Amino acid sequence: MKIISKVDFQNFIDALIKDDSLNVIGVKSRGSKFAFAPLESAEELRLDYDVTLLPPKKYFFPQRETLFTYDLSDGFSAKNPEEPTPMVLVGVHPYDIVALLHMDEIFRETKSDPYYFKKRDAAIIIGVNIQKMSKWNFSSFMGCAAIDYGYDLMLTDLGNRYAINVGSQKGEDLLSKYAKNVTVALARDIQIAGQKKREVMVMSQQKFDFPPELIPELLKDSYGKSGFWEKHSEKCLACGSCVLVCPTCYCFDVKENLDLSLEQGERIRTWDGCLLEDFAKIASGENFRATRPTRYRHRYFKKGKYLFDTFGFISCVGCGRCSSNCLPDIANPVNLFNDMYHESIENGEQMATIAAQPEVNIQTEGYIDYVPKLATIIKKVPMTSMETLFEIKLDDGSELSHKPGQFVEVSVFGIGEAPISLSSSPTKKETFEVCVRKLGNVTTKLHRLNVGDKVGIRGPFGNGFDVDSLKGKDLLFIAGGLGIAPLRSLINYVLDNRKDYGRVYLLYGCKEPKELLFSDELVSIASKENVVFKPTVDRCPESGVWEGNIGVITTLIPQVSFDPEKTLAILCGPPVMYKFVIADLKKRNVPDDHIIMSLERRMKCGVGKCGHCQINQIYVCKDGPVFNYSKIKGVPEAL
Amino acid sequence: MKPKVAFFDFAGCEGDQLQVANLEEELLALLGQVEVVSFREVMKEHSDNYDIAFVEGSCTRLQDEDRLKTIRKNAKIVVAIGSCATIGGINSLRNYKDLDNVKKTVYGENAKFFDSYAARAIDAVIPVDAYVHGCPIDKEDFLQVVKSLLLGKKPETTTYPVCVECKKNENVCAFERGQFCVGTVTRAGCNSCCVNEGTICWGCRGLVDNPNENSHKEVLIKYGLTVDDAISKFRLYFGWQEAKR
Repeated sequence: MKIISKVDFQNFIDALIKDDSLNVIGVKSRGSKFAFAPLESAEELRLDYDVTLLPPKKYFFPQRETLFTYDLSDGFSAKNPEEPTPMVLVGVHPYDIVALLHMDEIFRETKSDPYYFKKRDAAIIIGVNIQKMSKWNFSSFMGCAAIDYGYDLMLTDLGNRYAINVGSQKGEDLLSKYAKNVTVALARDIQIAGQKKREVMVMSQQKFDFPPELIPELLKDSYGKSGFWEKHSEKCLACGSCVLVCPTCYCFDVKENLDLSLEQGERIRTWDGCLLEDFAKIASGENFRATRPTRYRHRYFKKGKYLFDTFGFISCVGCGRCSSNCLPDIANPVNLFNDMYHESIENGEQMATIAAQPEVNIQTEGYIDYVPKLATIIKKVPMTSMETLFEIKLDDGSELSHKPGQFVEVSVFGIGEAPISLSSSPTKKETFEVCVRKLGNVTTKLHRLNVGDKVGIRGPFGNGFDVDSLKGKDLLFIAGGLGIAPLRSLINYVLDNRKDYGRVYLLYGCKEPKELLFSDELVSIASKENVVFKPTVDRCPESGVWEGNIGVITTLIPQVSFDPEKTLAILCGPPVMYKFVIADLKKRNVPDDHIIMSLERRMKCGVGKCGHCQINQIYVCKDGPVFNYSKIKGVPEAL
Repeated sequence: MKPKVAFFDFAGCEGDQLQVANLEEELLALLGQVEVVSFREVMKEHSDNYDIAFVEGSCTRLQDEDRLKTIRKNAKIVVAIGSCATIGGINSLRNYKDLDNVKKTVYGENAKFFDSYAARAIDAVIPVDAYVHGCPIDKEDFLQVVKSLLLGKKPETTTYPVCVECKKNENVCAFERGQFCVGTVTRAGCNSCCVNEGTICWGCRGLVDNPNENSHKEVLIKYGLTVDDAISKFRLYFGWQEAKR
């Protein structure tokens, strides 16, 4: 531990500010509150603050951030944003430091987010131990009120001087370069600093009635708790304040912004929040968390269970910002979990006494690339009034090398990006195909593009079908509407590797005959050996021609005879289809693990970061979109 | 060929067209993309040959309806600009008062010569393709809508309340400052401009699609507003929307 007088500390901060190569940020007053902001002089620094309006994450994951800028005047050329200026953050409270460590893990998982880490790696954190605690704070309970890690320097106020804990070489170097008269702490100062730290560790006025490490256990049986979530969320304004001020929230939206020349533009990401109405809404209009109670519940589960199951930590540091920013006062985690705890006790439920230890297995490799590859539309085949098949080739000549069941993010420059399933088999190598329904802005504009026009491609993303595990099996494909598009990739793959697979049954249903996709192709597939093809339509208008089955997709299931033990059922269709098809397959004794399905959600980033496609702890874009029914049948919200 | 655009005004202060006229250098960039054929506030010429009609002001008379229907017939795209046109706006305040008294207040002895009925948003009369909310409209928001239309894109309307922008802008909440704000139920998209300047959100962009009005009224009352005051806070801009709900 070191000691610096307050006068010398001010000089130290002023020396940092004077250095133009550094961006010095500190806590300043803002009205009656406090905020992190660029420092013009050390005098502005308010290390006696209680809590800042926003956490310091805004410097690493800003409210609005340019992912890349582009120029369309001559094709498409993208430019990454400039390298960030090294930053010194002065006065970060311990709970906010822990929150940054959570963000680090989240942004590092699977693939690292380059925008976040460029700024994070270039930053020096000077923490300060809490002097005044906000009345909403419960960081003492979360073990985040005082810490021995995560900072470069940590200050403790000792009256006319600061004690400094040095946490890294970067911190040590900063002190020796910019600070004067730093001395080694004497035993008395070490004792006082230790005493102050212990005081902080029990300072929180918000109190849990049970050990908060049991929150994941408590949540385990609370998802469907009758009336509980409805009651607690009744006053929710769906304003998103609780998640927008949260130091560990990381969900974002991706948007496109073009200037008036319509040639220069940028792709940006902005903070989003799972409490907001459209968070889980997809282009077709389906909203997977349309009601306030479901979104309200999602927040608590995400913090207390989903992230815990993946990363092993409760993603809450007890800063109390959510509680203090909620006007109807329903966002306070302490109140909610205490209520949940007491209700459980009253109901005579068995309460776990030991915190669960999830199996944490985080792998990470490389960086996410948010800049799409340029590609050209080389063929455009209108299929129905709503769907068109596009054949696309990457301009750099590389192969997409996808698996059946994977998807790509297709960019229409100036409009945006949309996730679209790959519809061609990987056995077709030089190009790939996507069957696109005209629904949102991106797909509508895509339909207006012509052969030779450019699009952007990111991916392939998702797990895809495990073609090896299907080998030797009979395959029962069940497709509803546009669900045929991703299945076509697998069907053609299977037919191209015919000897590896058994019988193929294909059941395909649409609303009306004119909506059937790939009709000619499917008829030619049907003529192949060991292939049974049965189409159906929900109805046939008088003007239509239809000789096949009429009825919903499930009416086809009794018409095929298959051996449930030898057969794998592979499903893809609108969300409403699965429940009914699965019920009918179960009637035919198909085991759970013989049912495989591809799910649709709002897959905005494609890389498991933005949060929109999340079902419980599952990211559909990364862990799916292909799932085995046995793995997700117990997962609420999945089906 | 550049799309032809025209501006029209109904009951309102023309402040939204003024915002367009005040675009300054961006106005020139805009004129590079569109041809303005009618804009009473800045030019004498007029033509009925237009693709996009920007309509400001509320519909307050039967004869306004005919004019609106003609605009709808002429235009491929109709855009409502400003609160009076998008949500009925301040004009709707009078819908909660006795119409004869209102007329007398405005026109005095001549009141009997003037027709009038409950003020309404223009989508109460004709279908509207896009909205630029606000009182007055925000220039950037207007340009976003124009750019979307030029790109053949459906303009995005935010579905979340102003609180989202206030939080991102790190404003001290108006309630914390002892003031009363309706930003919690008001459609965002203004970048919380009023609260950024230290005042409150008045609600000029209208209610979000699914506001929790009961909870918001409770909040207003919890922070010390009377029920009557809370209702009048709502009616300043939400009058027409409230009556419709």
